[in-house]
Amino acid sequence: MANEVDFVVIGSGSAGGILAKELSTAGHSVVVLEQGPYRKASDFTHDELSVYVRAELRGGNNEVHGQTFRHNENETATKPPEAPIRYARTVGGSSVHFTANFWRLRPIDFKERSLLGPIAGTNFADWPITYEELEPYYTKVDWEIGVSGAPGPFDAPRSKPFPMPPMPIKSSGVLLERGATKLGLHAQAEPHAILSQPHNGRAGCISCGYCMFYGCEAGAKSSTLAAMIPLAEASGNCEIRPESVVIRIETNDKGRANQVVYLDADGNEQAQKAKAVVLSANGAETARLLLMSASPQHPDGLANSSGFVGRNLMHNAHSVANGVFEHPLNDYKGVQVSRIIHDFYETDEKRGFYGGGGIDARPLFSATPIFHAETGRDPSVPRWGKEFKDTMAHDFTRQMSIVGSTTSLALDSNNITLDPASKDAWGRPAIRATYMDHPDDLAMAGFLEDRAMELMDAAGAEKSWRFGIHPTTGGEHLLGTCRMGDDPATSVVGSKHRSHDVPNLFICDGSSMVTSGRGQPTMTIMALAFRAADHINAAAKAGEI
Amino acid sequence: MKDSRAVSRRQFLQSTGAVGSAAYLRLLGPALIAITESACTAKQQSSVFKVLSEQEALDLMAIAARIIPTTDTPGATEAGVIYFFDNAFATEMADMLKDARQGLESFNREMQGAHPGSGQFGGLGEDEQDAFLKTQESTQFFGLAWTMTMFGFFSMEQYGGNKNHIGWDLIGFEGNHGAWQYPFGHYDAEVHKETTDGE
Repeated sequence: MANEVDFVVIGSGSAGGILAKELSTAGHSVVVLEQGPYRKASDFTHDELSVYVRAELRGGNNEVHGQTFRHNENETATKPPEAPIRYARTVGGSSVHFTANFWRLRPIDFKERSLLGPIAGTNFADWPITYEELEPYYTKVDWEIGVSGAPGPFDAPRSKPFPMPPMPIKSSGVLLERGATKLGLHAQAEPHAILSQPHNGRAGCISCGYCMFYGCEAGAKSSTLAAMIPLAEASGNCEIRPESVVIRIETNDKGRANQVVYLDADGNEQAQKAKAVVLSANGAETARLLLMSASPQHPDGLANSSGFVGRNLMHNAHSVANGVFEHPLNDYKGVQVSRIIHDFYETDEKRGFYGGGGIDARPLFSATPIFHAETGRDPSVPRWGKEFKDTMAHDFTRQMSIVGSTTSLALDSNNITLDPASKDAWGRPAIRATYMDHPDDLAMAGFLEDRAMELMDAAGAEKSWRFGIHPTTGGEHLLGTCRMGDDPATSVVGSKHRSHDVPNLFICDGSSMVTSGRGQPTMTIMALAFRAADHINAAAKAGEI
Repeated sequence: MKDSRAVSRRQFLQSTGAVGSAAYLRLLGPALIAITESACTAKQQSSVFKVLSEQEALDLMAIAARIIPTTDTPGATEAGVIYFFDNAFATEMADMLKDARQGLESFNREMQGAHPGSGQFGGLGEDEQDAFLKTQESTQFFGLAWTMTMFGFFSMEQYGGNKNHIGWDLIGFEGNHGAWQYPFGHYDAEVHKETTDGE
């Protein structure tokens, strides 16, 4: 175990799984340290009590993680029962339990700052790369990870068509399309990281309905567990080491990363030496680990001379409207989303604020019954008794949600830090999230909620209700906390994901993103990982690691 | 102007978080959400309870039966929700049993105060039960009973409740199914029919 390998990859999720595959199949020896267990497709169940309530794939609720949350630094962060920062702890990471909505960014996402100008008080910036540079890697994701879909009217240019057709339209999609047509909007098929037919030796989707929060028993969801890890292991160069909880990255007197220290499944401290370290632990864990790796050489945390580690956290803001229709939708069957609306993707100055977003229709709260009873049912009805029962019986199969997802602006004040008091179950300083949406983010969410209510009416909902827009108190989208950039003073990694401060430390995951996109970041995280791997492999070949 | 359908902040907090959040449930403490499959293997429904006394079981059953009443369709009683309670309190929620018992004692004490000489909660008329339950809605004990009733009614049978999928059948949910073939619902069936007819 003490033998030096070429690369230690920390994290096996959307980015780490791809990097492990790309580096190992190029001939490098790779050890992947994953803090979660090694679950296989056959381990995934439809057990709502375990998966949703007990947060099985997230490794349990917040009593395990000890995370704290506050809206601003003047507040004392408190520890909510549910972890505010939510990601899967399992081989394949959050690509295992995500809903698999899979949008590319568009050219404008990479250069919006130049086009729109600065926004006071924010770190709104252009990316150091363009859509055109990333496009070949989006296409690589399409074909190697497996993406189903069909072109939409506003899509970014693509060099190859989707490898397979979209998932079949569901009742929620039909209703969204109906509403959109009446309102002069354009519904389009949702792209998914889910196979609509067999691809690359994997089975197609069986429409079981357990995508959101659950692992895919058919292997049709294009997680790195299904699509990449088997290829990495088949290379003979890659060892996946599950239940390995990293506690620090160590550097030598030359300032190079030389080993990663972790707790094994029995809680014993181990160290893995490596020629280079790839950090892909997600936008919260990556920042935490760098901050935990502070040393006399790096007093503010590793790779943090800019002070940007942990800053600019972006979650994407959300809105939810719910509607009940005359006939059953049975939307709990099949994938969550089949139609989306991207008419509001770009910033429109007439709206009076920065931002854009996307709209989708999905069962959401009507996917499973406990989730529905607890959070999704018509809130105007009493929560127990005959009326409650009758409403549940009527609404569950007839209800859908129209969800809006928006941009988030990058702010210094939204960040991941180490909680000074709380620890996780492994004794590590817990993640402290500080987050308050920029007013423009909330305004955009409100705008989309208004459109969602109009869409519900236009689609013929018998009743509909909204939750209203409230500041975000946590999230699954963990973006921006080690942003890429050309200037070491205002970014953590360069455009090729090499950290500015530590020459053999590469960082690639949601933390690399400079802007948030419009709400479905995983496609971009995966494309960045393929691109980073190309650059790392090229550097290794040139002897420049 | 505020949309008349807007839900109040209080209702919002009570009933929902945004996507993926479940604040209300999470208030009930970690032990509640630590129920494990292995620890909750269902037992024969006819056998005695593992930890609940007969009277405790009757009281909890009566409460659950008002939360999801038996009407022209089965309710919490028929779904065997009480076996979920018992299994959970016997295993992963064992450390909450003491609090639950105290909560039930307090509930019964207040019930006796409101209805002197009435004996058990289940002995009251249904309207009296509902009226009394309304006074208890804000208590932690009611929250626990409500949540456990939902879990017992809608979770997989292996946890002891949802007998013969009574809970799922009530709402039209064919849960824990393998593959589905589209069309799934009324509206997509219309579209898929058009598509098929056009071929």
